[in-house]
Amino acid sequence: MAPKSDLLQGTLDLLILRTLSAGPKHGWGIALTIQQVSQEVLQVNQGSLYPALHRLEQQGLIEAEWGNSENNRQAKFYQLTRLGRKQLSEETKNWERLSEAVGRILANS
Amino acid sequence: MQTRLASLFRRGRYERELDSELRFHLDMLTEQNIRLGLAPDQARRAALLTFGEVDRVKDDVRDTWLSRMAETVMQDARYGLRSIARSRGFACVIVLTMGLGIGANAAIFSVVNGVLLKPLPYADGHELVALWQHEPLAGNADIGFSYKEILDYRTARSLESVVEFHNMWFILLGRSEPQRVSTGVVSANFFDVLGVTPMFGRTFVDADDKPGAPAVLVLSHAYWKSSFAGDPTIVGKVFQMNDRPHQVIGILPPVPQYPADVDVYMPTSACPFRSDPRTVENRNARMVSAFARLKDGVSLSKAQADLDLVAARLEQEYPDFYPATRGHRTVATSLQEEMTVNFRATLLVLLGTAGFVLLIVCASVANLMLARLVRREREIAVRSAMGATRGRLLRQLLTESTLLAILGGIVGLAIAGLSVDLLVAFATQFTARAAEISIDRSVLLYTLAISVATGLVVGSVPGLSGKLTDVSSLREGTRTTQSRHAMRSALIVVQVAASFMLLIGAGLTIRSLLKLQQVDPGIDTENILTMRIDLNFTKYPSAPFNTRPELWERIDEEIRNRPGVTRVGGAATFPLNERGPFSGSLTISGRELPQDVTRPTVDVRVATPDYFATVGQPVVSGRPFRRSDRMGQNRVVIINQTMARHYWPGADPLGARLSGDGGETWQTVVGVVADTRQQLNENPKDEVYVPMFQTTQLSTMWLVRSNVEPETMAREIRAAVQAVDPEQPVDNFRTLADVRSASIAPRKLTATLLGLFGLLALVITATGIAGVIAFSVNQRTQEFGVMMALGAPPFNVLAMVLRQGLQLVLIGLAIGLAGALVLTRMLTTLLFGIEPTDGITFVAMSMVLISVAALACLVPAKRAASVDPMIALRAV
Repeated sequence: MAPKSDLLQGTLDLLILRTLSAGPKHGWGIALTIQQVSQEVLQVNQGSLYPALHRLEQQGLIEAEWGNSENNRQAKFYQLTRLGRKQLSEETKNWERLSEAVGRILANS
Repeated sequence: MQTRLASLFRRGRYERELDSELRFHLDMLTEQNIRLGLAPDQARRAALLTFGEVDRVKDDVRDTWLSRMAETVMQDARYGLRSIARSRGFACVIVLTMGLGIGANAAIFSVVNGVLLKPLPYADGHELVALWQHEPLAGNADIGFSYKEILDYRTARSLESVVEFHNMWFILLGRSEPQRVSTGVVSANFFDVLGVTPMFGRTFVDADDKPGAPAVLVLSHAYWKSSFAGDPTIVGKVFQMNDRPHQVIGILPPVPQYPADVDVYMPTSACPFRSDPRTVENRNARMVSAFARLKDGVSLSKAQADLDLVAARLEQEYPDFYPATRGHRTVATSLQEEMTVNFRATLLVLLGTAGFVLLIVCASVANLMLARLVRREREIAVRSAMGATRGRLLRQLLTESTLLAILGGIVGLAIAGLSVDLLVAFATQFTARAAEISIDRSVLLYTLAISVATGLVVGSVPGLSGKLTDVSSLREGTRTTQSRHAMRSALIVVQVAASFMLLIGAGLTIRSLLKLQQVDPGIDTENILTMRIDLNFTKYPSAPFNTRPELWERIDEEIRNRPGVTRVGGAATFPLNERGPFSGSLTISGRELPQDVTRPTVDVRVATPDYFATVGQPVVSGRPFRRSDRMGQNRVVIINQTMARHYWPGADPLGARLSGDGGETWQTVVGVVADTRQQLNENPKDEVYVPMFQTTQLSTMWLVRSNVEPETMAREIRAAVQAVDPEQPVDNFRTLADVRSASIAPRKLTATLLGLFGLLALVITATGIAGVIAFSVNQRTQEFGVMMALGAPPFNVLAMVLRQGLQLVLIGLAIGLAGALVLTRMLTTLLFGIEPTDGITFVAMSMVLISVAALACLVPAKRAASVDPMIALRAV
């Protein structure tokens, strides 16, 4: 498995929160979305999604509920909490600031 | 929030949910792969590849559960520590109180653990048994075994081996001073059966026990330390003993010695008495104790059945040796139990007492916590309004109290650690296993367990008393406060009841001790130095020509003439000494009994002419012994008053003739002396005194009345005895006053411990009462102000508060009284001269408790009575 660097973990958390901001999704849906939206650039083992989901759930950033999937199977749906929404907007700002800074450095050198 | 607890308590459900969550993902992935054109099994494999190792994922998920839980615990603990740190004084009081309670329990448990619970420090100690021969119908609890009987019981099928032990003394020569050494005479395989391996050298082997084998010695650890300063090169050294060289072959490790603490051990072949053919051949020469190891897996009852078989065979084969009239019986008892049999009752009482102390501590601390909870009500109400659940708040309280209790446990452990030496000294009075008492892992675990339990109990009391999260407590004065007050009162009642029971226990043992101290032993114990003079019997044999009486006369005279000696008396033993007198059978001339009737027994004592005058035992009729009562002269005896009353009621025993050997030799009664008691708690027995100069006494005690300081006197006496025989040791110098206090030391120590516990309970309870009353006075300040503004005299307010407090005390007292009446029966064996329901103790302790409680109420009551109505009313 990929090393659990803080960057990677933080990035994965951010991606999950971002994906869920569009509405409740199960783990499989989140994986699909990240893959499609990132155009297959981000290739992590899909399994590593789950520790992150459970951690976020325990931090109170997302909450889970069992429901029926598109093909009528029981699946665990995650959705953002109020705290999660706040966290997402903060983290997004942070990320933008960081990538902007990195971009500037790379452009100038 | 749910997940955190669930990962602890409902792991199962969360595991199942995780399973189906992951399975769903994998199924979807597989379906996607099938849609992309893969065969089903290929699709599954590809899915697993994309997903990663399922078990690994699960582990990582579980990690998030665990770390989250640990985080919450840490958070609770941090919060708890902060809240403890905020009120340091409060925390100190609680930690100290808990420390005392936990410390008392840890200390007593360390004794129970070391003495009762730990396995014997011998190999497979639970398999070891002690054997006893009883003759219950003849009143003999322990008649010992003869060598012939040892051989017989070796045939018992469930016993692996039977070994013998008997305690002798010999004079060891070859050092700067002649030394009397207490000697354990044992079978060659004694230490093998016990499973004791020597620290240096070796123990005995069969060849050492063959007749005529060179004499060898094994030193006990204590003797080696005290007499040879722990020098291992002593192994191989040769000393002279019993006119033979004896070589030291080994040194024992520090194991408890049972049945006696001895200096050295020797095999039976080296003991002149035990190896004497008359001892070996005579079935009646019962002089040894027997021990055995049970075969693997054999129960005690099975062993007993086998012993019964052997005993029955012997009784049939040798009816003369085992007359049916005596009810002969051979029993086995567990050695582990036997070694602590004298301690068990005391220990159980102490354990129960410590438990009560902890109960009082818990009630007291819970009360303090409740009081503080009221002060923290706003904080708690705010937290609950902010969304903290009842569970979360309860857990917070439990975390805090457990933290405090663990700190208390550390204090308690320190208290227990500091008292280990005292506890060992205490336990030494009762058992050979005292040295095994220590703060070991079991004690640590026990302390941790009772600390956590104390914390949980104390912390859950607030949760039991009314709703924790009543938002209405943001407003003033609510019902919660009332139900808490009821809980606080109940806790006070518990404390008072438990304290009363402890005080009764302490009072009963202390009163017993006082009664015991007032008992007149019948001798004057002041200004007397006692000592032991045991003869070297190879130097002073009884045959062919007995030189002992003459030696005693010379020693008596030599001591008497030394400066500083007011009087000197010799005896076989003396009152208050641990060693009791021998007993002998009694035949009175003219009242001979038929042969088949068991003759009555009397205590047979030995005395020199000046003995009675020396110890201050009056001769009430007839005469004391004279110097002319010596070998070759008329044989005389003196009896005591109890015996005179018993056998010659209303008549004069002087001139009566007695025999101790069934009528072969006769002695004439020439005097009657006043009664004495061998131990303070024993009644005087029938006693016959024989003149020392007419006996072949080998082992003697001497008493010297003198105003000279004991150390100087001891030197003087040793010089006197060694002027007669330079190779004669004199030892065991003790003042009679010391012997007296040693004789009641176990009771004194027990009473002291129980007294300390009682005092501790009283102090904790008194502060608890004062705290509760003070708190309720604080809350009712306005009420008192109004009362006084309306004209109530301050005295009425004082009386009202006192009444409120004493009501609780009286309820507690009544419950404690009922409990004490039931529980003190367990103390019976520890009491002397009073009943477990002793009225004086009950009344006195009630008074003590009520007055202390009244004092505790008085302080806050006075404050209530001195409330300034104006200030109180303005505060509204």
